[in-house]
Amino acid sequence: MKGRYLYCIVKGNKSVNLGRIGIEGNNVYTVPYKDLSAVVHDCPAELYQSANEEILKGWVSTHQKVVDIAWERFGTVLPFGFDTIIMGDGLTSPEENMKNCLKQDYDSFKRKMEIVGNKAEYGVQIFWNSELMAQKLTEESVEIKKLNEEIKSKPRGLAYMYRQKLEGILKKEMENKADRYFKEFYKKIKPCVDDLRVEKTKKTEDKDKQMFMNLSCLLTKDGSRELGDELEKIDAMEGFSVRYTGPWPPYSFV
Amino acid sequence: MEPQRNTNATLVDLLDRVLDKGLIIHADVIVSVAGIPLIGVNLRAALAGMETMLKYGIMQSWDERTRAWEREHRSKKKSSLAQGEKIILKMLGSYYSDKGIYTTWRYGRFFLTGERLLLYHEDFGAVLFETPLVKIRGLVIRDEKYFTEKKERGELYLVLKGNKIVRLSALDVAQLKEAIEKRMNELGLVPEEDPAIPVFEESAAKFLTAGEEIVCSGKMWYLMDTEGIIDNTWRPGYLYLTDKRLCWWYDFEQKVAFEIPVGELVASAMEIRNLSGVLKQKKVLDIIYAGNGTRRVASFSGDSLEEWDQIFRRIITGRGAEVRGQRAEVGGQLSVVSG
Repeated sequence: MKGRYLYCIVKGNKSVNLGRIGIEGNNVYTVPYKDLSAVVHDCPAELYQSANEEILKGWVSTHQKVVDIAWERFGTVLPFGFDTIIMGDGLTSPEENMKNCLKQDYDSFKRKMEIVGNKAEYGVQIFWNSELMAQKLTEESVEIKKLNEEIKSKPRGLAYMYRQKLEGILKKEMENKADRYFKEFYKKIKPCVDDLRVEKTKKTEDKDKQMFMNLSCLLTKDGSRELGDELEKIDAMEGFSVRYTGPWPPYSFV
Repeated sequence: MEPQRNTNATLVDLLDRVLDKGLIIHADVIVSVAGIPLIGVNLRAALAGMETMLKYGIMQSWDERTRAWEREHRSKKKSSLAQGEKIILKMLGSYYSDKGIYTTWRYGRFFLTGERLLLYHEDFGAVLFETPLVKIRGLVIRDEKYFTEKKERGELYLVLKGNKIVRLSALDVAQLKEAIEKRMNELGLVPEEDPAIPVFEESAAKFLTAGEEIVCSGKMWYLMDTEGIIDNTWRPGYLYLTDKRLCWWYDFEQKVAFEIPVGELVASAMEIRNLSGVLKQKKVLDIIYAGNGTRRVASFSGDSLEEWDQIFRRIITGRGAEVRGQRAEVGGQLSVVSG
C-alpha cells in the first residue's frame, strides 16, 4: 500500500493495533516516533472520493469514531481533518514519511499536546427567534412606531417606499440588538471555559430559529457545571434556544 | 444543561469539525488536489448549495458551456452595416447622450465607413449614434474632466450642420479624428478648423433672466436637501454666479435646484469631509446665507473650490465695507441730530 490515512496523533511510544475499525473496515494501528504516535490505516495514495452523500457521511462518521476511540485510549489527541493521506515518494516508504512528519513537527505537536491535553471541545450554538425579536422591537422603538403610523396615511406607491425604509431601520436595530446580546452572552460564557473560538454562524431553514452565535469552547474533559448553568439560563430566555454538543476531540484548537 | 452527542442534530456540528478543522501538516507528501482535499469539497458543496459549488469550481463545466454558447451566439449577430459598405476603422468608444431626463455615456464600437460614422452596441445589436460624414461641419478634441476622476481625457466634439454638438470618447480619439478627417477629405469635404463649442451657456440660457450676466461657472457637486424619505444626497450639476444670483443647475432634472440672491451670502468656509462611501476626504465648501430670516447652509464640492471660496469672500467682505459705511453714515446723522 502506497499511503497512510492519518486520523490523529496521540501520546505513546509503542506500536498498538486498534483493529478493523477504520474507514471501509481497514485495520487501524499506531506508528510511533519517540513518545508520539500517529494513528493510521494503510490505503492507496488516493483521496477518498464519492458523489454519494450518504457514503461520504459514513466515512466522516467513521473518521470521527476512530479519533474518539484513540482519544479514549490514549488520553490526548491531536485530531486531523478528513482525508489527510501521507504517501511514499521515490525511495522513502509511506511509513518512513509518516515518521519524518512526526520528527519534523515534533516540537510543535508536543506544544499543542500541552495546550489541549486532557481537554475537550464543546460546541455552543445560540439561536434566536428573529420574528419574535422583530415584533418586540417594533413595539419598543419610537421611530419605527412613528413610521408605521405615517405609512397608513400615504398613497400606495409612497407607502411601499416607507416600508422599504422601515425594513432598513428594523434590520439595523436587529443587528444592534444581536450585537448587544452577543457581547452579553460572550461575557457570561468566557469565564466558564479555558479557551473560546468564535465560529461563523450558519444559515438555518426556520426563521424562528436563527443562529446568531456559534462558539467552540475548550474545557476539561468532564465538562463544566458553570457553562451548563449559564447556557441553561440563556436557553430559558424568551425567544432564545441553545444547542450544546460535545465532548469532541479538540478539532478547533489544534 | 448537559452537552449532547450522537443525536441527529449534532451531525452537522460534527461534519463541520471533521471537514473544516483539525490539524493540518504542510508537507509535500500529503495527497491533495490543489491544496483542497476534494472529498471534503464534494460533501461541503452538497450541504452548502450553489454558491459554494461555484466557488470550488464544481459547476465549472456548466459555466464554460454557458459562456461558449453565449460567445457563439454573440458573434452570429450582424451589425447593421449596409451590404458592401466598407469599414475604414473600428474602435471601442462611447457617446454622451443628453437626450431625455438622464444624461449618460453610452458605450459601443465606432464604425467609420465610406459614408458615415456609427456607434454600434454589439450585444444589443443597436445603433447608438450615427451621422453621415457630409453632415459634419467640424471636429475638435478637448480635454474634459470626469466628475469623479481627477484625470482629464481627450474627448472628440463633432459640430454637425445645424449646430448640433455631439460629444464622443474613444480608445484613441486622435486616431478617430484623423480617420474621419481623412475620409472627409477623400469625399471632397473640408471640416472646419477648431469650431466653437458652447458648453455651459446652453443650459444657463434656460434660466437666465434678461440682462443677467454670468460672472463665474463650473461643474459642482451640491448636497441636496432631504426630499421625502430620501436623505441628503450629493448630486452633480453646475454652479453659476451671475451678477444677481448664485444658482446651481441640476442636470438630472434640468432645473435650478438652488438659488439665492447674491446679497444673501453671509459666509464661506472650506473643510475636508467624507461625501459618501466612495468619495472620501474631499474638500467641501459650505456657504452660509440668510434665507427666510434664518441662517442656512449650502454645501458644494468639486474642483477649484479655492477659487469659489475666494470669490465668495470677496463678495462678502466687499459688501461688509459697504454695510459698515452705511452704519457710519447713520451714526453720523444721529450725532448731528443729538448735537
